[in-house]
Amino acid sequence: MGLSRREFLKRTAALTAASYVGMNLPISMEGEAQATDADSWHPGTCRLCGSGCRLELGVKDGRAVALRGISKSRTNFGYLCMKGMLFYKLMGDNHPDRLKKPLYRARKDQPFKEISWDEALDIAAREFANAVKKHGNDSVAYYGSGQALTEETYIFQKVMRGGLRTNNVEGNPRLCMASAVGGYITSFGADEPIGSYDNFERASCFFIIGSNTAEAHPVLFRRIMRRKMDHRDTVKVINADPRISPTSRIADLDLVFEPGTDLALLNAMAHVIVNEKLYDQDFINNYSTFRKGKDKKQVSFEEYRKFLEDYTPEKVAQLCRGNMTAEKIRTAARWFATSEGTMSIWTMGINQRIRGVWANNLIHNLHILTGQLCRPGADSFSLTGQPNACGGVREGGGLCHILPAHRLVKKDKLRHQVEKLWGIPEGRIPPKPGYHTVAMFEAVNQGKIKAIWINCTSPAQSLPNCDKYKKGMARDDVFMVVSDIFPTRTTELANLILPTAFIFEKTGVYGCTERRSQLTRKAVNAPGEAKPEVWMVREWALRLSRELNDPVIKKCVEPFMGKEPDYELPRSIWMEYTQKLTKGRDNDLSGATYEVLAKLPDGVQWPAPTEAFALKGGTDIKFVRGIDPLADKHAQNEMPYQFYGPAHPDRKLWIWLRPQKGPAEMPDEEYPFYLSTGRIIDHWHTSSMTGRVMELVRANPYAFVEINPKDAEKLGIKPNDMVEVVSRRGRNVLPAKVYVGPCEGMVFVYWHDMAEDRMINRVTKDAFDPGSKEPEFKICACRIKKVSGPKPLKPFIVEMS
Amino acid sequence: MAAGTAAAGVCLLSDKAAALVSSPVKTNILRPPGAVPEEIFPAKCIRCGRCVEVCPYESIVPPDIRKGIYAGTPLIDVKKIPCYLCMKCVQVCPTGTLTRISQQETRMGLAVIDKHSCVTWNEELALCRTCYNVCPFKEKAIKLDQLRPVVIEEFCTGCGLCTHGCPVNRKDGNKAINIEPIYAFKPVRW
Repeated sequence: MGLSRREFLKRTAALTAASYVGMNLPISMEGEAQATDADSWHPGTCRLCGSGCRLELGVKDGRAVALRGISKSRTNFGYLCMKGMLFYKLMGDNHPDRLKKPLYRARKDQPFKEISWDEALDIAAREFANAVKKHGNDSVAYYGSGQALTEETYIFQKVMRGGLRTNNVEGNPRLCMASAVGGYITSFGADEPIGSYDNFERASCFFIIGSNTAEAHPVLFRRIMRRKMDHRDTVKVINADPRISPTSRIADLDLVFEPGTDLALLNAMAHVIVNEKLYDQDFINNYSTFRKGKDKKQVSFEEYRKFLEDYTPEKVAQLCRGNMTAEKIRTAARWFATSEGTMSIWTMGINQRIRGVWANNLIHNLHILTGQLCRPGADSFSLTGQPNACGGVREGGGLCHILPAHRLVKKDKLRHQVEKLWGIPEGRIPPKPGYHTVAMFEAVNQGKIKAIWINCTSPAQSLPNCDKYKKGMARDDVFMVVSDIFPTRTTELANLILPTAFIFEKTGVYGCTERRSQLTRKAVNAPGEAKPEVWMVREWALRLSRELNDPVIKKCVEPFMGKEPDYELPRSIWMEYTQKLTKGRDNDLSGATYEVLAKLPDGVQWPAPTEAFALKGGTDIKFVRGIDPLADKHAQNEMPYQFYGPAHPDRKLWIWLRPQKGPAEMPDEEYPFYLSTGRIIDHWHTSSMTGRVMELVRANPYAFVEINPKDAEKLGIKPNDMVEVVSRRGRNVLPAKVYVGPCEGMVFVYWHDMAEDRMINRVTKDAFDPGSKEPEFKICACRIKKVSGPKPLKPFIVEMS
Repeated sequence: MAAGTAAAGVCLLSDKAAALVSSPVKTNILRPPGAVPEEIFPAKCIRCGRCVEVCPYESIVPPDIRKGIYAGTPLIDVKKIPCYLCMKCVQVCPTGTLTRISQQETRMGLAVIDKHSCVTWNEELALCRTCYNVCPFKEKAIKLDQLRPVVIEEFCTGCGLCTHGCPVNRKDGNKAINIEPIYAFKPVRW
C-alpha cells in the first residue's frame, strides 16, 4: 500500500502524540511504551458524545494501549478530543474499578455479594415474573440509554413489549433530545436532520443557539471554526445564548438573552424576515403550510404575519435583556435569511425547555420561511449528546411511545406490522404508550413499578431534582437491576448489578447525529465475567418465558438462539432490525449490513435501501430527488424536493405559530437567580467514565459555579470561595469561578460531578415539556451565598464498598 | 570539566556543597506569590512556616535540610499542587519576603508552551485546551489562536494551574506547558 509523504508524517506524529498523552501512572507508562508498537489497530466509534468520531484502537498483547482518529472518516477527519483519545484506559483490565462479577443483595441496606451469572439471571427473571404475576405487566420497566448499542436497545424493547407486554420502555434520550424529535416531526413530518455534517464546510452563516459546541462537540466545533477562519469575511457566525461560552469566541454576533426568552427571540427574527420581505415566496408556496394550536389548524400567511406583530425587535430586545438590541436581532435575521446557506445548530439549551418542541419549531420556521433547507450549507441541524441516541433509541424504538423504525405505538396498523414481523400474536403489544421518564420514576416513587432494569445510565444523578426520585429507587419493594461497567450513583441503589462489556469489548452499531450508522467490532476481552447486554437479555428472556410459562417471550429471542455473543448474536439482531423492521420505512437501513459497514471507513447514512447504495455512504441530504432514493420512490410530482415524512400527510413543511413561553420557575425575591447547567470539555455526562481517567480528572477535578463578576461583587464572592447554591428542591456547595460567562442574574454549574455536595441535579427542577416530556434542566430559580473562603477539594468518584 | 566549578575560579565547591547553596527554584518549582528575588530570599525569609500553615490547598511545601541554606523556605511544586491564588500567604508573611500583592500582580513565573509536545500544537491531531480552560485569567493570560493555546506574557501569573492540568507528560518529567521562574533571578538593586 502506497503512502504519501504527508500521510506518513501525519501518522508518525499521531503515534508520537498518542505516546505522550497520559504517562503519569505506572499503568499508563506501560501503555506509552506499547503505544508506538501496537500489534493491531481496530476501527470503531468513539464511546462519548454524539459526534460519532471514528477512531482506531491499538491493541498489544490483547490489551488496549492507544486510540487515534481515522483520517478518512467524514465525521472527524482524524481529529479527536482528549476524552476520545484517552478512554482506552477504561477498557479490559486497564482500569481497576471495572465491575467484573454479578453482585446481588436482597435488601438495599445489605452489602453486595458476588454471585454467578446463572444465579443472577435467575433472580432477575424471578423478580420480574413475580412483579408481573402480582401487579400486572405495567409494574415492570426498562430504562435504557443513548449509549447502549442499537442491538441492545432493540432486543431489550422487543422482550419488554412483545414478551412482557408493556410499553414501559424508556431511556435517557428523553432527557436530551425528545424535544428535537418532537420538533422535527411536527415541522418536517419526519424525525432527524435533513442534511449532514458536510454542511459545516458549505454554510455561509451559522446560527448557534443554546449550544456550547466548543465544549460539548469539540471536534465538530473545529470544523465550524475552520470554515470561519478560512472565510473570515464571507462566513458569519451568530451565537445566541444566555452565557458567553468558548463557542462565542468565533462569533461575529453574540446575542446574550435572559434564560427563557428564546422563543420570543426566534419569533422576532421571523418578524424581521417577514416584514423586510426576506422570505422565499416560492419555497413557502411550494412546500409549506402555516399551522396553529393543538388541532394543527391550517392558517394563512396573513394570520402568521399578524401573530408576529407581537414580536417586534424593539419589544423583544427589551424582554431579552442581556446585550440584546433591536438592531442585533435585525442583523441576525438579515444574515440568516440572505446568506447562501444558513445552518442552525442547537442542543440542550433549546431542547431542555418547558416548551422545547416549540423552540425547535421556531428554528425550523426560520429555515422554511427563507428556504434555507435541502441545499448545500442550508440546514436546521440538531446536535445530539449521546453516541447512539439517534441510532439506538430514536430509530430502534427505545422510548415509551415509539416502536422500531419511527413507528408510533398508538397507531394500530404500525403496531400490528411490528407484531407480524416479530412473528408474535396480534395484540401482543399494548396500544397504550408506557410511562415517559419523569412519569416512570414518579411511578417508582409511588411503588407502581415493582421491578426496573436500568441499563448503561445513572438516573440517580442525571434526573432533574434527583433526590426526589432517589427515594423511590431506594425503596425496598422496588427491585432494581443495574447493568453498567462502573459503580455509579445508581448502582448504589440496586439489588442486582450486572457487569457489562464496554465498547470494543463487544460488537454493535452506533448511529450518530447525522443519521450515520457505524460498526464497532470486538477487539479486546471484557474484564472478569463482564458480558455483552445482548447475551444477558437473551438468557434472561428464556428464563422469563419459563417463569411466566409464556412461550411468546421465548419466541422474541428465538431468532438469536445459539449464536456466539461477540459477533454472531449482535449481527443476527442487527439483521432482523434492518432487514425486517426498517425495510420500507423512512430510516431504511436494509443496505447497511455488518459486511457493508465494515467496508466503509465511517459508515452509512440512512435511507440506504440497497447494499450498492449503502456502499456509497448512503443519503447525505434527505428529501432531495436524485440524492435520496426514497424521494424518488415516493415522488408524486416533478418538484425537486419531496417531503415524504410519515407524520405529514399533506407532504408539506409546517410553519408553526408558537407564542413566547417563559420558564416553569422564574426568579423571585427568595430565589433571585437563574440557574443553568451544562457540560465541560473534559468530562462527559455523569463522569462515571471520564472521572476515572486521571488526565481528565486533573484537568477538571470537580464542578464549580460560574458567577458573573458584577453579581459576585454585590455578594462579596471572590474566586474559589465556597458558594452555596440553593433552590426549592436542594442545595449544593461549590467553589466559585467569577467570570463573564453567565449573564447578570444567572449562575451556571457543571453537572458531571458525583459528589453529593456538587451534584447539581439535586437543585434543578423536574418540570417538563407537555409535548416531548423532556424536563427543563436548563432553567430554575436559585439563591447563592458565600459560605466560606477557598477550601481544598478532592475529586470524588463512587466506589464499590 | 568538573561541574560545580565556579567559572570565574573565585571559589571551588563540590557538587554536593553547590547543591546546598544553589536555589531550588527551577522550572515548575516556584516561590509563592509576591516572593522577593532568589538572591535575597533565603536571607529575608525566617522560616516561620506561616505561609505553609495558612495555604488552604497545601500547595506550599518547605524543602528539608538537604536543600542547605534553602531548607524551610516555601516552595510550590505546581505539577503536584499548583497555586490557586487565594493570596492568603502574602497576608501572613511577617517579614515581607512575600510582598503583599494582588492576584493580578502575581508573577511566580511564566507559562511556556512546548509546541513540540503539546498535542494541539503538534500537527493537527487532538483538540486539547485544558490549559486554557483551567487558567484563572483565561482570554487574558491564555488565548486560543485557532484552537491552539497561546500564552500572553503580560498577564500570566505563573500560578501553574495549566501545568498541573496538562495531560501531556514529557519524558523529562515536565509537561507540555511549564512555568519558568523568569522573574525569580532578577538581580537585586541595592
